[in-house]
Amino acid sequence: MKRIRDLFCLSLLLVAVGLPAVAQTKLHVPLPDSITTVGYATGLRKNLSGLVERITENQMNKDQITNPLDAIRGRVPGLTILKGSNGPAALDAVRLRGTTSLTTGNDPLIIVDGVFGDLSMLTSIYPADIESFVILKDASETAQYGSRGASGVIEITTKKGVSGRTSVNYNGSFGIASSYKTVRMLNGNEFRTLAQERGISILDMGNNTDFQKEIEQTGLQHNHHIAFSGGTNTSNYRVSLALMNREGVIVNEKLQNFTSNMNMTQYVFDNFLKCDLGMFGSVQKERNLVNLHKVFYSAASYNPTFPNHKNPETGNWDGYAYASQLSHPLAWMDVKDKNATSHISTHARLTFNLAEAWKLTFFGSYTYNVVENAQYLPVAVWAQGQAYRGDKKMESLLGNLMLSYKKEWRKHFFDVLGLAEIQKDKYSGFYTTVTNFSNDKLGYDNLQGGAIRPWDGTNSYYEDPRLVSFMGRVNYTYDDRYILTVNARGDASSKFGSNHKWGFFPAVSVAWVVSKEKFMEKLSFIDNLKIRAGYGLAGNQNGIDSYTTLNLMRPNGIAPVGSTPVVTMDKLRNTNPDLKWEVKQTFNAGIEVALLGNRLLLTANYYNSKTKDMLYLYNVSVPPFTYNTLLANIGSMRNYGTELSIGITPLKTKDMELNINANLTFQQNKLLSLDGNYQGEHISATEYKSLAGLDGAGFHGGYNHIVYQIVGQPLGVFYLPHCTGLVSDGNGGYTYQIADLNGGGVSLEDGEDRYVAGQAVPKTILGSNISFRYKDFDISLQINGAFGHKVYNGTSLTYMNMNSFPDYNVMKKAPAQNIKDQTATDYWLEDGDYINFDYVTLGWNVPLKNTRYLQSLRLSLTVNNLATISGYSGLTPMINSSSVNATLGIDDKRNYPLYRIYTIGLSVNF
Amino acid sequence: MKRNSIFCSFCILVALCWGMASCDGFLKEKSRDALPEEEGYSNISELYLNAVASLYNYIGGNADSQGLQGTGRGIYDLNTFTTDEAIMPTRGGDWYDGGFWQGLFLHKWGVNNDAIQATWEYLYKVIMLSNNSLEHIETYALTHSDAELPGYRAEVRAFRAMYYYYLMDLFGRIPLVLHSNVASKDIVLSERKNVFDFVVRELQEASPLLPAQFSNRSGNYYGRLTRPVAYFLLAKLALNAEIYTDNNWTDGVRPDGKNIFFEVDGTTLNAWQTAETYCDKITAFGYRLEPDYTANFAVYNESSVENIFTIPMSKTLYANQMQYLFRSRHYNHAKALGLSGENGSSATIEALQTFGYDTDLQDPRFDFCYYAGIVYDLKGNVVKLDDGTVLVYEPWKVKLDISDEPYEKTAGARMKKYEIDDKAMKDGKLMENDIVLFRYADVLLMKSEAKVRDGRDGDEELNQVRTRVGAPERVATLENLLAERQLEFAWEGWRRQDLIRFRQFTRTYSSRPQLPDEENGYTTVFPIPEKIRQMNLGWEQHPGY
Repeated sequence: MKRIRDLFCLSLLLVAVGLPAVAQTKLHVPLPDSITTVGYATGLRKNLSGLVERITENQMNKDQITNPLDAIRGRVPGLTILKGSNGPAALDAVRLRGTTSLTTGNDPLIIVDGVFGDLSMLTSIYPADIESFVILKDASETAQYGSRGASGVIEITTKKGVSGRTSVNYNGSFGIASSYKTVRMLNGNEFRTLAQERGISILDMGNNTDFQKEIEQTGLQHNHHIAFSGGTNTSNYRVSLALMNREGVIVNEKLQNFTSNMNMTQYVFDNFLKCDLGMFGSVQKERNLVNLHKVFYSAASYNPTFPNHKNPETGNWDGYAYASQLSHPLAWMDVKDKNATSHISTHARLTFNLAEAWKLTFFGSYTYNVVENAQYLPVAVWAQGQAYRGDKKMESLLGNLMLSYKKEWRKHFFDVLGLAEIQKDKYSGFYTTVTNFSNDKLGYDNLQGGAIRPWDGTNSYYEDPRLVSFMGRVNYTYDDRYILTVNARGDASSKFGSNHKWGFFPAVSVAWVVSKEKFMEKLSFIDNLKIRAGYGLAGNQNGIDSYTTLNLMRPNGIAPVGSTPVVTMDKLRNTNPDLKWEVKQTFNAGIEVALLGNRLLLTANYYNSKTKDMLYLYNVSVPPFTYNTLLANIGSMRNYGTELSIGITPLKTKDMELNINANLTFQQNKLLSLDGNYQGEHISATEYKSLAGLDGAGFHGGYNHIVYQIVGQPLGVFYLPHCTGLVSDGNGGYTYQIADLNGGGVSLEDGEDRYVAGQAVPKTILGSNISFRYKDFDISLQINGAFGHKVYNGTSLTYMNMNSFPDYNVMKKAPAQNIKDQTATDYWLEDGDYINFDYVTLGWNVPLKNTRYLQSLRLSLTVNNLATISGYSGLTPMINSSSVNATLGIDDKRNYPLYRIYTIGLSVNF
Repeated sequence: MKRNSIFCSFCILVALCWGMASCDGFLKEKSRDALPEEEGYSNISELYLNAVASLYNYIGGNADSQGLQGTGRGIYDLNTFTTDEAIMPTRGGDWYDGGFWQGLFLHKWGVNNDAIQATWEYLYKVIMLSNNSLEHIETYALTHSDAELPGYRAEVRAFRAMYYYYLMDLFGRIPLVLHSNVASKDIVLSERKNVFDFVVRELQEASPLLPAQFSNRSGNYYGRLTRPVAYFLLAKLALNAEIYTDNNWTDGVRPDGKNIFFEVDGTTLNAWQTAETYCDKITAFGYRLEPDYTANFAVYNESSVENIFTIPMSKTLYANQMQYLFRSRHYNHAKALGLSGENGSSATIEALQTFGYDTDLQDPRFDFCYYAGIVYDLKGNVVKLDDGTVLVYEPWKVKLDISDEPYEKTAGARMKKYEIDDKAMKDGKLMENDIVLFRYADVLLMKSEAKVRDGRDGDEELNQVRTRVGAPERVATLENLLAERQLEFAWEGWRRQDLIRFRQFTRTYSSRPQLPDEENGYTTVFPIPEKIRQMNLGWEQHPGY
């Protein structure tokens, strides 16, 4: 790897010697600048040979947006943004062109004004401060970011001041979030009647309580954002402050986010030097539900004859001993789980305009992020109460130095760029847990109230990963018709073994602008026709921790030594000293067409990527290994897909305009192999590995695995016994009849009577927007959908099981069907297809006459989550269908009630 | 001038790159929250801490399948819920758990059972860590000659042998791995007898170097594998030698203990004589029966004169949990004690019959080991259900699946055994009563059985145990001995091994039919976990699976 480094330096040196000579002899043609920033490079869109999606303000979603990514939800083909849950502070699961890695490094790289970060950085950006999003998906474009861009890149540029114009603007909105649908369970009276009919004795507390309603609230939401900007010929600035206040639909759920953004630009020495300074930060406070599963499981299936208030005699919530997996739903509302996240990022960029064609840029950024978590579980939900406090701190320092050369000479255009970059992060934190509270009065505000600290509840940690990178990029265009881009990047990560730190990731792409050819001149209805293809490598190391290649010892417990208990240490995981980069090879091709005066835009893109040397926590055999998992580079996975998008403007007059945009993503994923060589030995992952299963009373262990990872299949398939129907149990009840698929008697074991019954990740994703303007009024409707996947309805499996009655409440239709079985089969596997009417916004740009100060005034009304069309019998099919974790594809008693948000908004510009 | 500035910046760029890349230190990791392994054994006290003492942290556990006892779905459950001693009935929505518990009871555990695999992985994890410890001791011994070294080495070897004993008992034919760094192709299955011989040899060689001290008492040797503990294991090994030396356990032929020979202190003895000899060696340390049976299981039971090897328990010091009382007692019973419960494990019908439950001849130990009928809180108040009626445990109503029946929640006699620690934490799972693994009553019953099997009279030892609790004397027959082991060791995790030794494990009993072909004894060992086998090509699955 040292050779690669040397090669790089050598080539940079050669360029340095050679190019200035060229520079002297060429014509000095001023180049237009800053049209599109693609990674480190800035240039004209026409010179791009890879796929770059750019979303500017008027293309963003206009509904009630909490997270900046909501602004582009459904707007970009290949970009999946799914709500992890529906809490006000829920961070979305984001995937660009599917899941390509088995480790957690699947989130796209987020870059805000040059500062690198992850999804959590987005909470510091108020959506109204965003000027544009640039989404990079093609390997040839993400290659600029080397390892960090392997899962795609989302670049956000915030608004800057404009020279010669001073403006103040205010954006505000007020909204109400209100639930409209919950799971239909027996109410108190029906519960009582059913028990009487069946002669079952119940604990009847005499009430008729709908706990699902009791834990709800009407969430009030309001946002305020104010920005000032201005500028002269040599400087400009923009400053904004914003406050976001959100209440969720569940009692006590809320989020408050205060953000600020500042950008300043100053030109000095006759524009020889341009200084950009920027800073953004936020303080976000939220109160969350600590355990969605427990809360919604309790609310739905707690005995509905229990009261909605504390027992006046004891002053406590009445417990119901038989429902051992539940606690009083309102007791869950007393649980406190608070997060406070403070984030600050500062950055500076110095651009030296050395010569007309030469630029030298220094960029540096510093990010500081701290998350404080405080949690208290009262006595009613946790025996003796438990308080937890923890702080997580992240610091990141990034610096790069970039030299670029841009030249147009006759029909040739060169854009050459060299870069060196260094990044140093620091993660540290601590937490502590105490228990044995005599009452709930002090909680986490005085940890001494919980006198006892068990050994395993306290710890701290420290990690400092580093990255060093070099990058070279050449963009060449001939006659605006033929475009070639070559990227080469070398990355070194401290996380890998000493012989594997360096990775080399080249990429190349070509494009042909057919519409500029002579023979196309006759076809005047074609405004643009461009064909592209590219191939590149990308590395990944995001999903792994530091120090995994080192043989390390950590405290493993306390042993009595002599007469005193002493902390001892041991190896706590298998070590892999040969850990190296995971590499993704991508081929992509695309075509874009603009017709009829740009009234019809069509693009189609195909990609096919193969991830090799997959970093994955393999299940390994014990022995020879000590622990049953090993982080290793084995196995491969393929992702391929097609993205189509269409934009039509059928109507465009002075008073009326109709725009229809739609994009369709067809995506497929296949786990090719999970075996290979590790230190000269063949190792192989197990044939069936469970990813997600069911939880709840009677669902612990056993045959409750639902979603699996199986080689040769897409990641996340339902691997289930087949149910041929309900069969009488002889006592009036019914059980699931299970098919003997492989003969020899029914066995629910892996490899026996189970089959792959579908996949959890949608095969097709739709995003579409229809907007219509009539004079000063406009209306915009966003429709999203997903197709080709399944959802496991674990909620119905549980709540339809009459065996759990009366300890656990059941659904209204359960007594009629009288199923007395909770075996997980494909009976409750349902199609997950849906079309969701995401939001509709009605806006009015108030016509302003003779106003001296007021520039514009806009009023709007938005309704979020209008309706969903789906054949799914549960609450909603919109559950986790993209993140590979323990909830993938399973609707298991953890869903929020369905709710809508009604928002009125006001925007004023002075 | 401009040209020069361009050239200069290039040079800066190149120099910077070079500098950054050359600085290998920048990319070198140095952990601050963990210690490099080579720094953990630099002096004799660190060596003891991290190579020897550290292993004892794995004896107990707090997660499923971890620890020798105290947690669920591990060694204890595989030895208990597969037998006629205890049952985890399905109670409506509770305890179905995907058929796991029914599978154990019916011996239909399958080859892909997660709990069996996790148990295998737990046992081998500790063995691999022990191998690693031994290697650190050897490395240290190359440059040091501290007097403690032979003792440390012996302690770890004996510790590893104990884990092999559990593995061999559960799985029969297993790989014998003696180094921490072994290529997987070099790992092959060893015949059961080979593993058995290894375990016996290791314990015999180590025991003279082990401290002749009580392990159950607080102090320098608390919780450690001392000499009497090693002798106890040797007695168990000898007593079960017929099983453990049988490489072909499904052929219906079992070696005869009288023809299995051991060398003990220079004398050649058969299996029964060997067991007896080791029992006598333990007696010589001064262990005796506690006059009060329950004292062995009391809160702070470290002073017991009977307990030989325990899992040290402490609410704040150790993470070890005792989950068995928690998962057995009824919700309201637990609540009345100020703790929590999961209303699960119960005595089987066979256990009730053995104890003579509800008859004039009821064994006195029934009340020490089980809750039945009406129960009381610590203040002596009757425990009531949420609806105000009295909680009555119905021992005879127990069945494999009692869903939807009147006694769904109350059927079954529940685990008592350990004294309630009313200051326990984590639902009662963190308590102060040390978990009893080996105790002296077992030494007496082993000796009695060895004598009987050797054709001699074992009445004396049997009746010492019976008299202690006020039970009438019995003749030491094999039948009475098996019953006595049930009476004395209820809930102590010995039943599977005992039933196999007495050829009763595969028989039919209430709500458990014999499986096809089970008579040949294939279920007396658990299968090699299929997922482990898939990763080790060439390993043959045990017959019958």
